[in-house]
Amino acid sequence: MTVAIVLLALLGSAWLLAVVEGWMATGRLSPAAPLFRGLAHLGRESIVPRSPDRVFFEAAPVLLLVVAVLGMAVLPLAPDLIIADLGTGALFVNAALAYVLVAVIMAGWGPDGAYAMIGGWRFLGQLIAYSMLIVMPITAVAMRAESLVNTAIVGSQAGLWNIVYQPLGFVLFYIAAMALAFRAPFDLPSAEGELGGGVDAEYTGVRLAVLRLARLTLVVTLASATTVFYLGGWHGPLLPPSAWSLIKTLAVAVSMLLVGHYLPRIREANLMRWCWVLGIPLALLNIIIVGLLILVVP
Amino acid sequence: MTSVSPINTTGSRQRQARFARLQKWVSRAFARDLSCLIVPGQDVAVAHGLNVSATGMRVSASPRDANVLLIVGVLSEKMGEVATVLYAQMPRPRTIVVLGGTTPSSLPGADVSAGLSQEALADAVGRLKRALAEGAFAVSPMDFDASVLHARIEYVCPMHPEVVEDEPGSCPKCGMDLVAREAGEQTPEGGHDHEHHHDHDHSNEHSNERQQEHAHENAATEYTCPMHPEIVRDEPGSCPKCGMDLVVREDGEDEGHAEHEHSSHDHGEHDHSGHEHGGHDHGGHDHGASGFMSMIEVTKDLPRSADGLQMDWLEVPFGPVFPGLAGGLKLTLTLDGDGVTEGQATSLVGLTSEGENFEASDEMDAETFIGYLSAAIPLAPVSYRLLVCLAIEQAAGLEGDSANAGARTGALERERIASHLGWLAQLGRQLGFAWLTQRAATLQLQVREANRDSLAALEPALRTLGTRLERTPLLKSRLKGIGLLPTESSDLRGPVARAADEGGDAWARLRQRLAEISASLGLIKSGGEPALPVLRDVGDVSGTGEATVDTPRGEARLSLKLERGHVKSYKLDTACSQHIGLVPKLVEGQELGDALLAVGSLDLSPWEVTS
Repeated sequence: MTVAIVLLALLGSAWLLAVVEGWMATGRLSPAAPLFRGLAHLGRESIVPRSPDRVFFEAAPVLLLVVAVLGMAVLPLAPDLIIADLGTGALFVNAALAYVLVAVIMAGWGPDGAYAMIGGWRFLGQLIAYSMLIVMPITAVAMRAESLVNTAIVGSQAGLWNIVYQPLGFVLFYIAAMALAFRAPFDLPSAEGELGGGVDAEYTGVRLAVLRLARLTLVVTLASATTVFYLGGWHGPLLPPSAWSLIKTLAVAVSMLLVGHYLPRIREANLMRWCWVLGIPLALLNIIIVGLLILVVP
Repeated sequence: MTSVSPINTTGSRQRQARFARLQKWVSRAFARDLSCLIVPGQDVAVAHGLNVSATGMRVSASPRDANVLLIVGVLSEKMGEVATVLYAQMPRPRTIVVLGGTTPSSLPGADVSAGLSQEALADAVGRLKRALAEGAFAVSPMDFDASVLHARIEYVCPMHPEVVEDEPGSCPKCGMDLVAREAGEQTPEGGHDHEHHHDHDHSNEHSNERQQEHAHENAATEYTCPMHPEIVRDEPGSCPKCGMDLVVREDGEDEGHAEHEHSSHDHGEHDHSGHEHGGHDHGGHDHGASGFMSMIEVTKDLPRSADGLQMDWLEVPFGPVFPGLAGGLKLTLTLDGDGVTEGQATSLVGLTSEGENFEASDEMDAETFIGYLSAAIPLAPVSYRLLVCLAIEQAAGLEGDSANAGARTGALERERIASHLGWLAQLGRQLGFAWLTQRAATLQLQVREANRDSLAALEPALRTLGTRLERTPLLKSRLKGIGLLPTESSDLRGPVARAADEGGDAWARLRQRLAEISASLGLIKSGGEPALPVLRDVGDVSGTGEATVDTPRGEARLSLKLERGHVKSYKLDTACSQHIGLVPKLVEGQELGDALLAVGSLDLSPWEVTS
């Protein structure tokens, strides 16, 4: 039951994001468009490139989808609405999302095309930039909750959300999450203007439908993680807990799409430099501040 | 063709029919989900006043995600071939819409053809939806085939990509065996077609043949370590020196040589139809060659790149139909990782007849010539119309036209604003900056044919766009220092030249173009109502004339010889012809994204490149 509800919420959120995406591209809100698009993808030819690495080519979209769903499995929508409340939940999110890299590189390598391959390797560079900024803010979150259990992390924010308690960590995590989801302005691996779609470029038909769904699901999962870690998860007045989780998650996810709409793509070298020269010291500072707060404020 | 032509006229573009009931629904979905690939490019479509997304069609970045091939205007022969290849890459069911031109001969007939206007496009989309809903599936779809899809096989050295021969043999530089690849891979097709631009049906046939061919060659095999060639075993296992898995080596072969060739036809580990991997672009990145050969070995003879790494070099085409570049412009970059070692730009749509002597049979009277030149340059038709008018009038000995000067200046400046907005939209496409693309393209469509009053009304919006861009986070850091030209470059013209003093990078060019938009607005305000330049009556005069117009991309000079009212010969000198020569210098040693941005910042119009 829980599994079904979470999957349904995930699917519904992905649909909503697709509607928002369409609205940003065309200026029209058409709720049916993603459904038609999905159906059309199923009917279309699914071309296999000339000399693919068949295993990588076929597995990459599925792996990306599985990774996104796995990440979601340990994030609570409500105190009892969680597929698996692991003792190491916060770490598991990070561990599951590490496989995004694998999926993207497989999608880049699989079709044996130059654009896709460059896209795949670009993401490897991107991982080096963002990965520390995923882990280090989570560390500070876990410090406050004194637990890696995701429900306990939400519980620790009952009085004060982490976005207020550790705003620096929130900003870093939010940026890193966008880079992980390789959405604009961090869409280096799938840049249309630079690589004609990059890792997405060679997928058609059903495979493309899975890849698109996976990419949207990944955004939802990351938005949900942001909600759980920083926005107090299910906490909120009047509405039921799961409704609050969904509202916050969707708000974060939509904000991620909107930010990308108004910004140019970042330069790869700048991303790397800023993440390491600026981001990591700030993340350390965040940990120190949170540590001091825990010591000083009882 | 004005009626709905059901798309099963040729049977080559539908999906195979299978589940009747589901098909009905899926066909309806096809009709609701139109995604077009615009040939030559979106910039051309907007310059013609088309607003594609207003019709409900998405604009696709790649042929793989497109189901409508939207051909805008008349295509050159080369672009026709490109369109054919792109069409072959599109998944079925696929359709062709031709606006204001003819279908290239290598493509099946258009599903819908219409005139070159927004109303015609909207009407065409409506008809297309009906055609798709009715004929998206065929009982037995046929193969699509065209001669451009058949590639020529050529032979190339894995170590020296510059060595390309028509016949098998060994490399004159290193003596290695040459490896087969298809000639099409790096030549005209470009765009999205890299390895597999051919209809997949054909490629499968090829691969089966190849596999059989190699099956018997692999009868006797030995196993060797990729790092330690002296280790040779009869059975699979791991290397006693380094523990790596041993890989297959053919019996009696000596290492230095045919390894490359055979790495390409992997031996049974992977059953994918992976023929000729190693042969082409990827070289050492072979899929099949997992561990067969170390990277160090593959790259040991290659020159080191700027970052000190030795990598496999790929020659990758960008364009001529590429979202990040002007349609018709093809950029060929040799990539070393994601760094560019060398590159050059060519135009597939450029003017072919500079300084050509027209035969007496050519009925090139003054009006025809004006029409010819302004139609050949869709991105700046007014400027070139004005240029020809001025040159002919000078040849006819007419004095400066003071009556129409204001109107002519107004039209020229209006086109400058529209053209710079087009460049901003193109920059937005390249940078994935969706807001900029939408905003600039909307404004461009409004400015295109605006009169003085409506331009004055648009002024606040144009100024806001400028100030917003200067404040957009990440934009300055993205553009600053990109596309730096050596200060002593003398062949610069137009905004690129004017920006050279302000820093000479992409950021300076952006600011220069924004400043020119403001300046042009001022000129229109103080000048006359913009009106398309019209040639004054010159009669049957003879003479030579020369004129210069500061087009949106820089000065263009035209000199022509008039004989009894007919243009006998002309010579055109454009800014883009000069600027395209700067590309190799600009891209060398740059990261891929920076190189593309540097080329983009020049605002090269391939239509204005003369050969």
